[in-house]
Amino acid sequence: MAEEASHTFLRQFGCEQSLLSKPDGSASYFQGDTNVLSGVYGPAEVKVSKEIYDRATLEVLIQPKVGLPSVRERAREQCVRETCEAVLLSTLHPRSSLTLILQVIHDDGSLLSCCLNAACMALMDAGLPMSCLFCGITCSISVDGQIITDPTAEQEKESRALMTFAIDSAQKGVLMATTKGSFSVTELQECIAVSQKASERIFQFYRDSVFRRYSKIL
Amino acid sequence: MPVSFREKVDEVLLPGDVFSLRLPEFGSDVKAEKAVCGPGLRRNGDQVLVCKSGVLRHKAPNVYWIDSQQKRYVPAKGERVIGIITARSGDVFKVDVGGSEPASLSFLAFEGATKRNRPNVQVGDLVYAHFIIANKDMEPELACIDSCGHANGMGVFGEGGLMFRLSLGLVRRLLAPQSMIVKDLEKLFPFEMVVGLNGRVWVKAKSIQQTLIVTNLLESCENMTAQQRQTLFQRVAEGNL
Amino acid sequence: MAAGFKTAEPLEYHRSFLKENCRPDGRELGEFRATTLNIGSILTAEGSALVKIGNTTVICGIKTELASPTVDGPTKGYVVPNVELPSLCSSRFRSGPPGEQAQAASQFIADVIESSEVIQTEDLCVEKGKLCWVLYCDIVCLDYDGNLLDACIIALLAALKNTQLPEVMINSETEQPVVDLEKKRPLKVHRHPVGSSFAVFDKTILIVDPTAEEESLSTGLMTVVMDEEGRMCCLHKPGGTALSGEKLQDCVSRAVARHTEVRKLIDKVLESMKMDT
Repeated sequence: MAEEASHTFLRQFGCEQSLLSKPDGSASYFQGDTNVLSGVYGPAEVKVSKEIYDRATLEVLIQPKVGLPSVRERAREQCVRETCEAVLLSTLHPRSSLTLILQVIHDDGSLLSCCLNAACMALMDAGLPMSCLFCGITCSISVDGQIITDPTAEQEKESRALMTFAIDSAQKGVLMATTKGSFSVTELQECIAVSQKASERIFQFYRDSVFRRYSKIL
Repeated sequence: MPVSFREKVDEVLLPGDVFSLRLPEFGSDVKAEKAVCGPGLRRNGDQVLVCKSGVLRHKAPNVYWIDSQQKRYVPAKGERVIGIITARSGDVFKVDVGGSEPASLSFLAFEGATKRNRPNVQVGDLVYAHFIIANKDMEPELACIDSCGHANGMGVFGEGGLMFRLSLGLVRRLLAPQSMIVKDLEKLFPFEMVVGLNGRVWVKAKSIQQTLIVTNLLESCENMTAQQRQTLFQRVAEGNL
Repeated sequence: MAAGFKTAEPLEYHRSFLKENCRPDGRELGEFRATTLNIGSILTAEGSALVKIGNTTVICGIKTELASPTVDGPTKGYVVPNVELPSLCSSRFRSGPPGEQAQAASQFIADVIESSEVIQTEDLCVEKGKLCWVLYCDIVCLDYDGNLLDACIIALLAALKNTQLPEVMINSETEQPVVDLEKKRPLKVHRHPVGSSFAVFDKTILIVDPTAEEESLSTGLMTVVMDEEGRMCCLHKPGGTALSGEKLQDCVSRAVARHTEVRKLIDKVLESMKMDT
């Protein structure tokens, strides 16, 4: 992949689905050197205290590479959970629990977007009903005002602002947004447009990899 | 633009794909095509939404569903499954079928069972049963008799044999009429096999060794093309493994 | 009758109001609840503020402490925010270790402080590599009725503006810090971030400043933080319904207007405090 001057440059990315035997759905997703392993259990039995009478209870756990999950992971968990809740048709499995575990293997920037992509692949692998797919894109704005998609950890550090979006596959709308640093409204709109463009490539990748998986039983 | 559904049969689809049920060649205000939506598809007016990834299958005249490879079982009425008795309370057994909650199985839902003549079923036994109640809002209920009161192949498993898990997609392939995998396996040596739609398979052959061979072969079928499978079975038949 | 309808079909109840472009509490879709502010309510803290947005009540206290800076940033102090949601403020919270919402709110406040540079951590340095201030910003919710994040940001900003740091000298002989409590100087607040929260109803209708009930019935929440130059410090949308770029633009314009409102409020209260003394 040649490094283009165009905005929608993404590092090389890839995914392997159902690589774990125990979880009902699993995926390992990498973009550049950032790598996240995810597993989904469910619909399974739910604890009475967490039971919701008309839909499934979704729990998201993010395990950092080293140490115990901190407040930062909690905030990320909330973002991933609410994004998944928005696309999952959880009313089809009331009074059951869904657990999504994301294990960070290596963090080289754009971690949250990698978590989102791994989560989507694992949910798809588990065969849970979803109204549409989603993907995560991170954009950073460098000091000279240039937008870099899918930045590395070093580019993140040098950036003036950092934004992560989750884009849905149906309307290309913004499901989730979280930002760091300050930026103008025009810059925000530009980043959204760039992310929407980049999302097309990821959705096409989703389609290709699912196709590869099912090609044996076609 | 939503595309007509029929053109997509036997193609891989993803959640979020939307199709129109109207046939394009007849202009816009024709009646929508009638379709029965199976697993993985949801109807919304004239449109069909795909909510699972997999291959779109069609059965004449108008049944459509998504054939997906998933591991977790969700009970559906009428499906035959292999369950494990986990508890007995009052007049019912609790049966683990691999779904989100245990299913119940009445003492009386066995062939020839009466209030006096209780079936000889212990905790830990395997049963082959079908769902008479299975929907998202109620506790699933199993029975080992059909509507005429006959066992019809269902009931408690006898001694011996081995139970193991396969993916739901593979299990459906095993149960398909004229399944190539089963045909290839039958050529090796005789064995008994019970396949539950919940992904559990029970196998019993003449010796433990043969049982294990069948088990391992079935497990390896998960990710093999027909070609690879036949070569492998050939080698087993020749005794090279 | 209305009460029964509200209990049985809360979503329909809200929808019937939204159809008429108003809300059950009489507000318009783009209207905030009455916001009141009291600055300097805690005398034992270096800075404090109490904010009420409708029924939502949040108090912020700032305590300071001397510490040694890290090796990476010898000229930088620390700002440590913490949001607490005790079981007192709503039945939805349990006592015990902070829940997910409290932790996510703490992280959000930390992100806002870092992104907006409301305090420059260099200002907190007393002596390079040796001594610096730590600001503990404890934000406690007393009554939870939705829109926690907006209230937290206003409380934090007002409390920071109220904070006075005592002068510190380092005794050259003993190398011990000497704090002169008589001489105090106010903390320099560089920028003024103000948040505006939105809730999405039925995937299309945007309302501002949702109450707790509206939050739980909505399909998505979002908070936009703006500063006085019209730059965005934070766009926080933890999931929920997908929004288009145009919808976001509407939210941003509303947030700009809200910024002036809150800024005026803070200035007015600070002004009246000066008059009193």
